[in-house]
Amino acid sequence: MTHTKRHAAAEKARYPAAPDNPPPTQQHFAHISRYWDRENQGYAAKLLPGEYYVTTAGERISTVLGSCVSACVRDRRLGIGGMNHFMLPLDASKGSSIWGTAVSAATRYGNVAMERLINDILKLGGRRDSLEVKLVGGGRVLGGIAIDIGARNIEFVRKYVADEGFSVAGEDLGDIFPRKVHYSPETGKLRVKKLNAVRNDTLYERERHYLEVLDRDPVGNDIELF
Amino acid sequence: MARLIMTVDDSASMREMVRATLQSAGYEVVEAVDGQEALDYARENACDLVITDVNMPRMDGITLVSELRGLPHYRLTPLLLLTTESSQERKLEGKRAGATGWIVKPFNPEQLLATMARVL
Repeated sequence: MTHTKRHAAAEKARYPAAPDNPPPTQQHFAHISRYWDRENQGYAAKLLPGEYYVTTAGERISTVLGSCVSACVRDRRLGIGGMNHFMLPLDASKGSSIWGTAVSAATRYGNVAMERLINDILKLGGRRDSLEVKLVGGGRVLGGIAIDIGARNIEFVRKYVADEGFSVAGEDLGDIFPRKVHYSPETGKLRVKKLNAVRNDTLYERERHYLEVLDRDPVGNDIELF
Repeated sequence: MARLIMTVDDSASMREMVRATLQSAGYEVVEAVDGQEALDYARENACDLVITDVNMPRMDGITLVSELRGLPHYRLTPLLLLTTESSQERKLEGKRAGATGWIVKPFNPEQLLATMARVL
């Protein structure tokens, strides 16, 4: 047996093959990309900007954050929970200023990003009073945009969590680095790896694109009278 | 006299946004944190319109709508659901329970107020 082959065999013994399919998930998460995380011997969901995911199956959730933020929320009694990945739209073009900051398009968008995640956990049996919240992201990474988008996202998410009466069990926010994040709703463990600030063009491109989409899409248009 | 609107949501941030929007248009606002609290209030008090979330502890918004329709003084009151849910099945449940309309969050303040003006 060559050295490489022996090495591969040892690897295989240490990391058994992935089960054929990831655990079942809810229909509205069918589009979320999931992969076999060899090191942790379990499936993990990988979030893109604007997505969120909730699991009851012990999966991990990973994402890469630049100026976006993620709230990691779980019910600590049940070990179920999830994570979102969002940023606030720039508000300038929406002209909602007569209602002040409490009802700006940015705030309404952020609220929904948080509420979808929390509601899904509550629907699966979670209780508000046993939710544990961790916050991550909001780096000052998008050059060329005049306002500090990361700081704005941090300010929003901190205020939201405080207004809802949740305490923050842990946070890793701000600074100038993008972050690679792994969260386990089952244990509540949040692992953050700071990435090189200059070598993440894909990430910046993705966030800029997300921001453009947010800016184009009207916030709130779906009303039906019976 | 200003019209009295009840807003029902388990999220304090959402209640705050709805209240700010309604007060900016001159409405009086009463808040409830879930369907049960709203129903308890409604048994004793008339409102001109109710805006309620769907997913809430103790009593959800769709149950609230059917309970309110059982109260003589809420038979004709406009009842709007304001929710992150957008599926046709849920909307149909709301309609069957007696809701007047369905608004998906995030709401647009101008459109929320215009919708209210139409049904009031």
